[in-house]
Amino acid sequence: MALRNSPDSFGLISRLIHWGMALLILSLIALGLRISWMEPSLSNLWLYGLHKTMGLSAFGLVLFRILWHLISPPPGPLATGWQRLFIKAWHWTLYALMIATPVAGWAASSASGIDTLYAGTFVVPPLVEVSERAEFVWFILHEIFAKTLLGMVIVHMLAAVKREMGGDGTLTRMLRGRA
Amino acid sequence: MPVPFRFVLAASILLALPASAAPVAYDLERDRSSVTFETDFGPDTITGSIPLDSADLTLDFDRVANSRVSVALDVSGATASFPFAAQALKGPKVLDARAHPQMTFQSTSVQAAGDGAAVDGNLTIRGVTQPVTLRAEIYRQKGTAVGDRSHLTVRLTGKVKRSAFGATGWSDMVSDEVRIIITARIAAKG
Repeated sequence: MALRNSPDSFGLISRLIHWGMALLILSLIALGLRISWMEPSLSNLWLYGLHKTMGLSAFGLVLFRILWHLISPPPGPLATGWQRLFIKAWHWTLYALMIATPVAGWAASSASGIDTLYAGTFVVPPLVEVSERAEFVWFILHEIFAKTLLGMVIVHMLAAVKREMGGDGTLTRMLRGRA
Repeated sequence: MPVPFRFVLAASILLALPASAAPVAYDLERDRSSVTFETDFGPDTITGSIPLDSADLTLDFDRVANSRVSVALDVSGATASFPFAAQALKGPKVLDARAHPQMTFQSTSVQAAGDGAAVDGNLTIRGVTQPVTLRAEIYRQKGTAVGDRSHLTVRLTGKVKRSAFGATGWSDMVSDEVRIIITARIAAKG
């Protein structure tokens, strides 16, 4: 089983990152919504830490993913013409949001003045100065990015299923490597 | 002004002393004293303490109104029951320890109240001064003889609304009301 990508197939590394991040991102958004609605207490305070740890992991993974795709470029979309360009633009936007969402969350956490811990142990350096105004703005951006990402991921999933049902093997290619 | 009988009575019972006339100045026994606070965090309570910098106490058991209390706290040394709370507490949105390293209380009037005293004074937090009333109770220290006023324990309790001092951070999570408990162990000067 090939680890690397080729012009018409996804290698194992790209597929593992793709599905790992899919699971991570959907869990992160579910957890993030839970955190934003819950009444904080000593018994659920750890959920903030879990969200930050998972979010920073997702951020690390997307950076690794981009690096890996520079080393081993993935195959392009199976569509042709304007659809191909549209799908590419959609994927680029997904990447932009996969970076922007954790960065905004990290900045908001930094602005709150409370240490951001990774895995409850390592203190992550603050991105911005402590400020209530900055905290407010970054949290709004974090929410907008996360919700846009969720919407775009849902469309991405539906589109993949639709193309698979149309018979072009888009979903199969991401599952097994080849269409 | 008549001598507040009940306070004298209580103090006399507590200390079993013949009335003595002069106000007595006391030194703080810092290591055996504490300033603790507690506040509500959802269904839970956050507790913590702030180290005492200095305290100046003069007690007059006959004329309670002649008593004076002033306390200064070292905000930068504040601790809390979990690490994030301590950081939040000292940060710019609550006590802002960097800009305002001291918290002070100065009594303006002391009146007998029940078997203790009501201490009115000015509390300064974050550079904002607000009047507060603390309840004072005085106890003989463990191990001292009945009637020995050389070592006493003063317990001052009260409540403040932190928003009145501009300490508004995390107001959606942490209660506005903060309960304060000062336990000052003091020794007579000289």
